[in-house]
Amino acid sequence: MMTTVRQIGVATSMTLRATFRELGAILGFVVLFPLAFLFFLGAIVQHDLRTQVVVGAIMMEMALLNVNVVGQSIGADKESKLYDLWVSLPASPVVYVTSIALSLLPFSLLSAVLTLTVGAIAFGVSIPLALVPWLLLGFLLVWASTLGIGFAIGVFGRTPRQINQIAQFVGIVMTFFAPVFYPVTILPEPIRIIAYLWPITWGTVLLTGLLAANATTVLEATGVLAGFALGSVVLIGRGIRWRQT
Amino acid sequence: MSGPLAPTPSGPAPVLLARGVGKVYQSRGAAGGPRVANHDLHLRLDAGEVVALLGPNGAGKTTFLRQVAGQLLPTSGSIVVAGVDIVAEPLEAKRFLSVIPQECQPMQELTVEEQIRGFARLKGVPAASLDATVEEILRDVGLVAERGQIVRELSGGFKRRVLIAVAMASATPRLMLLDEPTTGLDPEARRQVWSVIRGLRRRGLGILLTTHYIEEAEILADRVVIISGGRFTVSGTVEEIRNRLPYRGRLIVLRADRLTAAGAEAVRALETRWRVTLREPSTIWFEVPDPFDRDTVGELARLASLGVQASLRPVSLEDAYLTVVGTPEALV
Repeated sequence: MMTTVRQIGVATSMTLRATFRELGAILGFVVLFPLAFLFFLGAIVQHDLRTQVVVGAIMMEMALLNVNVVGQSIGADKESKLYDLWVSLPASPVVYVTSIALSLLPFSLLSAVLTLTVGAIAFGVSIPLALVPWLLLGFLLVWASTLGIGFAIGVFGRTPRQINQIAQFVGIVMTFFAPVFYPVTILPEPIRIIAYLWPITWGTVLLTGLLAANATTVLEATGVLAGFALGSVVLIGRGIRWRQT
Repeated sequence: MSGPLAPTPSGPAPVLLARGVGKVYQSRGAAGGPRVANHDLHLRLDAGEVVALLGPNGAGKTTFLRQVAGQLLPTSGSIVVAGVDIVAEPLEAKRFLSVIPQECQPMQELTVEEQIRGFARLKGVPAASLDATVEEILRDVGLVAERGQIVRELSGGFKRRVLIAVAMASATPRLMLLDEPTTGLDPEARRQVWSVIRGLRRRGLGILLTTHYIEEAEILADRVVIISGGRFTVSGTVEEIRNRLPYRGRLIVLRADRLTAAGAEAVRALETRWRVTLREPSTIWFEVPDPFDRDTVGELARLASLGVQASLRPVSLEDAYLTVVGTPEALV
């Protein structure tokens, strides 16, 4: 266990350095999301939904970053055979995936800060300071629970092009079927069932529950998200092995 | 027992011992039935030894390397790396194993030193000895001057050296697997990589490499194993394999389409004595029993006196390889 934790630290410092040196695409995610959110907020969304949109935009950015960038990073590593080099190391796949995901976390947090700042200054969205630690916990849970999706896309996709297509498709489904920018109750019953299969929906339930100070909802959503996160770890650590049969 | 599993019972434990390794894919063959990727492969590799695996595309070289590296489960047999079974204890066995996959690229955005340092830590080099290990590796692979450079900016040959450096960066290196380590490199870069591989051998690492370059195998390998159709068909030193050919040399006639009448007659007469192995409009190859005996050299002189351009040369590993891949039974 200690070896794995130490290896995650080493691998993360390597991927983080590499990510910082090729900032372009990541910064697109980080900067574009607050701008897209501005559009939603200013042109479409009613005032009473603005807080949800701010929180939802942050979560969506985090989930899409995990699904797209984790998947595509693995795809690029497979293309360059760097993936095979990682496979040959005396390390679990958890080390590899977690290092990629952790290297994205600073950018996600930067995006969250930007979005909250723009929301507060330009549109008067107010988020109580006491809620900030809980929001962070919610963001981290969404981050952990969507990791498995990105990893599965990266590992099961055969070519970088296919991985890109699958990631885009999942991103679109996630955007429209996960009620991040609107309450889940708006959705008709059958689609609501699909929506509840996405961790990001539960992230929204958690954060809206936090904002409404509804303890039961918060506990329920936290439990489900923790389950998704655990599922990600199990999927990465056991379900998908380095070794082919 | 002879061949790849040449036993040395009283010697030290081998760094690699593969016994009866095979891989059968269910329902993937041309007729929809099981497809045999490789079968009953035996190989022993000792410390400080270089074994080259030669074979045509699709012969099963990379499949075997992936089995040894623990990336592909064999369906039969056992693979033991430095005393540890790679199937039963993959993480433990990988501590002794370094792999350079075919056409692999290092992490492009890290510097040479960051890369070596990072992978060394991942492979268990303790923090206390990290600096010394990294310095030694940089020196051994000739990357001291490039240590601060971003890998993306290096040439192909230097990138390959970075990969070898990464492979060396281990607390307990015993076995190195190099899958076509010089493919795509220019001649100078290839020689640089060869020099590094020789250095690894001197350090006592066992090295199993695959290559399409016969010359590379001749220069680097202590032993050569030829794989064809998923089976090890021949193994031994370069000399041993050459000696298994039923002939020892070639007589090569050049400009065969521009011979005088007397020259053409002399060449036709040779065909009754020696087998022709290649006939093209301008070139004819003959198998000769001994390229240095008086009779054969005399024939060469006679051809020259008739204006025929011809030369004699001893058999090469390439001759043996082409014979094995074409008709293995032709070896004696």
